[in-house]
Amino acid sequence: MSLKDVTYRFKEFWGDFKREKSGLIGLGILLLCIVVVIFEPLFLPYKDVNGNWRNITYWQDNSPSAPPAWVNLFTKLKSATTRQLDNPEITDEEDPEYGPVKTYSFTYNYKYDLPPLDVIMHAKGTGMIVALLEIERPDGNIVKLGQLYEENMEDSQIRYAVETDAKAMAFEFAQQYASYESIANSDSQSVKPTNVIFSQAAADMLEKRQSLKGEYVYRIKVPAFLLEDGSNHLDDLNLVLTGRVSGIMGTDTAKRDLFSGIIAGLKWALFIGLITSVISVLIGVMYGIISAYFGGFTDTAMSFVFELFVSIPVLPVLIVLSAIFKPSIWIIISSLIVFSWVGPVKTVRSMALQIKEETYVEAAKALGAGKWRIIFKHMAPLLLPYSFANMALSVPSTIVFEASLSLLGLGDPTIITWGQILHDAQGAGAALNGLWWWIVPPGLFIAVMGMTFAFLGFAMDKILHPKLRTR
Amino acid sequence: MDKILEVKNLRLYYHTNKGAVKALDDVSFDLYKGETLGLVGESGCGKTTTGVALLRMPSPPGRIEEGSKIIVDGRDIMPLSDKQIRKDVRWEEVAMVFQGAMNCLTPVYTIGRQMMETLHEHRDMDKKQAEELIKEYLGLVGLPPEVMGRYPHELSGGMKQRIVIATALFLKPKLVILDEPTTALDVIVQAQIINLLKKLKKTFDLSFIFITHDLSLEAEVSDRICVMYAGKIAELGTNDQIYGKQGPMHPYTEKLLAATPLLKKKVDTLSFIPGAPPDLIDPPKGCRFHPRCHKVMDKCKLEEPPLIEIESGHMVACWRCVK
Amino acid sequence: MSVNENDYILQVENLKKHFVPHLTLAQSISGKVKKVVKAVDGLTFGIRRGEIFGLIGESGSGKTTTGKLIMKLIDPTSGKLIFNGDDVTVTNKERTQAYRRQVQMIFQDPYASMNPRFKIRDVLEEPLIIHKVPGDHVKHEQMVIKALTDVKLNPPVEFMGRYPHMLSGGQRQRVATARTLILNPMMLVADEPVSMIDLSTRAEILHMMKDVQRDMGLTYLYITHDLSTARYFTDRIAVMYLGRIVEMGRADDVIDNPIHPYTKALIEAVPEPETGRVNIIKELPISGEIPSPANIPSGCRFHTRCPYAKPECSSEAEPELMDVGNGHLHACRRYKEI
Repeated sequence: MSLKDVTYRFKEFWGDFKREKSGLIGLGILLLCIVVVIFEPLFLPYKDVNGNWRNITYWQDNSPSAPPAWVNLFTKLKSATTRQLDNPEITDEEDPEYGPVKTYSFTYNYKYDLPPLDVIMHAKGTGMIVALLEIERPDGNIVKLGQLYEENMEDSQIRYAVETDAKAMAFEFAQQYASYESIANSDSQSVKPTNVIFSQAAADMLEKRQSLKGEYVYRIKVPAFLLEDGSNHLDDLNLVLTGRVSGIMGTDTAKRDLFSGIIAGLKWALFIGLITSVISVLIGVMYGIISAYFGGFTDTAMSFVFELFVSIPVLPVLIVLSAIFKPSIWIIISSLIVFSWVGPVKTVRSMALQIKEETYVEAAKALGAGKWRIIFKHMAPLLLPYSFANMALSVPSTIVFEASLSLLGLGDPTIITWGQILHDAQGAGAALNGLWWWIVPPGLFIAVMGMTFAFLGFAMDKILHPKLRTR
Repeated sequence: MDKILEVKNLRLYYHTNKGAVKALDDVSFDLYKGETLGLVGESGCGKTTTGVALLRMPSPPGRIEEGSKIIVDGRDIMPLSDKQIRKDVRWEEVAMVFQGAMNCLTPVYTIGRQMMETLHEHRDMDKKQAEELIKEYLGLVGLPPEVMGRYPHELSGGMKQRIVIATALFLKPKLVILDEPTTALDVIVQAQIINLLKKLKKTFDLSFIFITHDLSLEAEVSDRICVMYAGKIAELGTNDQIYGKQGPMHPYTEKLLAATPLLKKKVDTLSFIPGAPPDLIDPPKGCRFHPRCHKVMDKCKLEEPPLIEIESGHMVACWRCVK
Repeated sequence: MSVNENDYILQVENLKKHFVPHLTLAQSISGKVKKVVKAVDGLTFGIRRGEIFGLIGESGSGKTTTGKLIMKLIDPTSGKLIFNGDDVTVTNKERTQAYRRQVQMIFQDPYASMNPRFKIRDVLEEPLIIHKVPGDHVKHEQMVIKALTDVKLNPPVEFMGRYPHMLSGGQRQRVATARTLILNPMMLVADEPVSMIDLSTRAEILHMMKDVQRDMGLTYLYITHDLSTARYFTDRIAVMYLGRIVEMGRADDVIDNPIHPYTKALIEAVPEPETGRVNIIKELPISGEIPSPANIPSGCRFHTRCPYAKPECSSEAEPELMDVGNGHLHACRRYKEI
């Protein structure tokens, strides 16, 4: 068939397809997914998620088990969201203690009721750096966070977290204002520095506190003489404020941003779903046609093999397999294909048996056509529409199947799939701990993906089915 | 002679999304008591549709249009409700032997059971009475009573057709419509069935409408013949007027007869009509047959000829025949 | 084309096709006897080169099976098939392919015989592809155009791009004919080629077939149940009953002077488009219906329905075809007394 024929057939099909609303919805969602997959970096809040999913250091600045940021719309008390501030303002100042200093400042507008969990400063340093860190609050008070001293650095990572490194300083600050009782009841270890830093200076600072809203300035002061000759320098400074709520879909117990995980998982869902269903349906359809056309002993034998496959208990076999082989994406796809190809066989076989009796098949034989010509030129094209519909309809089940595999821990650990996210959720007891944002989105996305392909499949089925009638 | 059926201005259109298919477009004819009227024509002419319309059973999206009148034994059945039609008209007054009916006998029930079912729909009879009636009619069509206990696949085509005819008759309808009742049968069995129909007609003074595409068969069966083309009547006349020495008047009928091969006389050339029947959504302007007519005139292309009586009992819709 | 009386393109000798049904396990155990369906039971005839030979029969006569046997779509149980002087009863794959180029078939249902998804061009090109006819795309297209022109489908280029459902019954049958002609065969088997076509177009198709025969020097085997069309179209006919020929000869001879009771009954039963027959109840001396080919009556297989049957008709051996002169053969041993 020439290109013109294909275009004609396609236009005909498209004309019918346009009328199926469900099909259009399915198609729309599918196109959206494809766009997201292609432009993945644009959509990912955490660009390097693919490969760093199990890398603890990558996620260290996040807050664990943080609900999604938009939860703030529904709660009375607004929690601070995770934010990253880059490109500090660099000024030259005169510090009472150090003298001439270079100051790197970050301005943070705090407007929440519940403060961030941590304030982390990142920088890359070379040579020797001494720095004084402090925060200026809206009420004018300055909280000293401590001193940084590093030497012999070669483009090394500097990390200063308030939570870990400024506990004593924060407690000291609190002691200036808090009531005696509360001071007696706590010590520098039990104090949460961010609570202190972001609360109003009042007697109840250490217990029930009022948040101090306004502009905060985080300053890093480095003595100017250190930076004069250029052998010591500080680069890529950024400030991460770890929020109580984070991202579009929150984080899990391992501090991973779930939205990035889901976006990253989209391509695998599509990939596994499509490849598996395309290959397994093709195998199944060819199997059915050959079984029907050859008939006799071949048919009986092939049907026997088919029954064998259908009666294999899938899960136990997979569990055994996973104990033998290290699970990887290709093993998963292969096992999915091995168990899914049986789907269309029975229907295709009965359709093929019907087509076999058609007069034009007899006419082709009378013309001298051989077996394979009849199978490929006359029978298969009639079954192609059914195959497409079948492919679309089997994608949801393959995705769910892979998710189940991952849920059981049989998934490929090197990639991120929605099933794995659910698996981790289950392992961390997400349901019991009320971490709904961990469970609902992946589940929802699996369902939506299934629904998309189901819609596509139904629409195609409706259009292509009547044409299966050869008259 | 009494008229058992009067059809006036019957229009049946199939309303598809491509337009209205005018399957029957202003068809009018009468059927007298005790006669066989033949409806003859080729594929798409509307003969089967007429039969179905007389039972008021057009298959959707078909619809009998406003203005159509179907008067069965003096009563117009068009305004009747569905319930009335089912209870009073269908099978009671007008029965039909459908095309391929013998193949529509349910394979999982015995013949007796199937005939019983039809009987029960219309009559309150106890089982014994019903059985007697069925056996009587099976006998009338030449079948032994044992047939009641058989399944359709055990019977031959001829036997099945007889059963279908018996089922159409046992409520003693006034009018029986037969749509291609012998098409699927062998020539000898066909002759047997035709003989049977003729005997039954005489015995019970029945009125038949006999629908077929086979002109030779019509000649042997029908008293009057109605030739249809593209949803309209082209010619309506007695058996003699159509098949007799004088020959038919309408060019279509003329050509159709010339295209029918004879058996007992050697035919040198067989005629044919070039082209194909028209599209019923957008039929040709004027006379629907004009694109294929060998006697076409200019008037034929512009105006549709009315069905007029050119001699007693002989109606033709052709400008050539208008003096 | 004048027909040489002794030049036979096809000869069939005592051809038989018996279908043996499969018994289920339960049936085998219960000792149920296998009823063999003798669809074709001893057929002997010859088709002369250049003639149109009609095979007449009702359903159950075995005419369709005969067609399939001659097309080698099924294999005979016994008997011989001789084509062009060669015994082609059993052939290897190569020889079968060569046979297929020489003997082609036109089917009854013009729509069903073409794949509805093939364009007319593809339908016609298929035989060229199957038989690996040399030539490129362009050459093949030319051959397709020629075939369409031969069957008078003009303009050929327009028809090439259409699908079967866009054509009328008559046009489709022309395409089916064109498909058989494109390989330049020697013989065509036509199984009821016009029975599903409107009356007004039948003659047109038959004319086309006759023209094609004359132009290409073909021989036809015309299978039908319609005696009237057969008389018009064929040169010689053979009347089949339950798998055997009961009468054979020139079409005019057989129809004007039938000898076998079955032939006589057939001719009597055929309706004629003549007036004055409405009130006639036909005399049909033969009763009942054709027996099942699984239960062939003993002796002369027609004796169960024959109005002239005598005891010897059922007890003696089956009569063979007898020649009464002028190539008119029949199988009724009592014909002189009837």
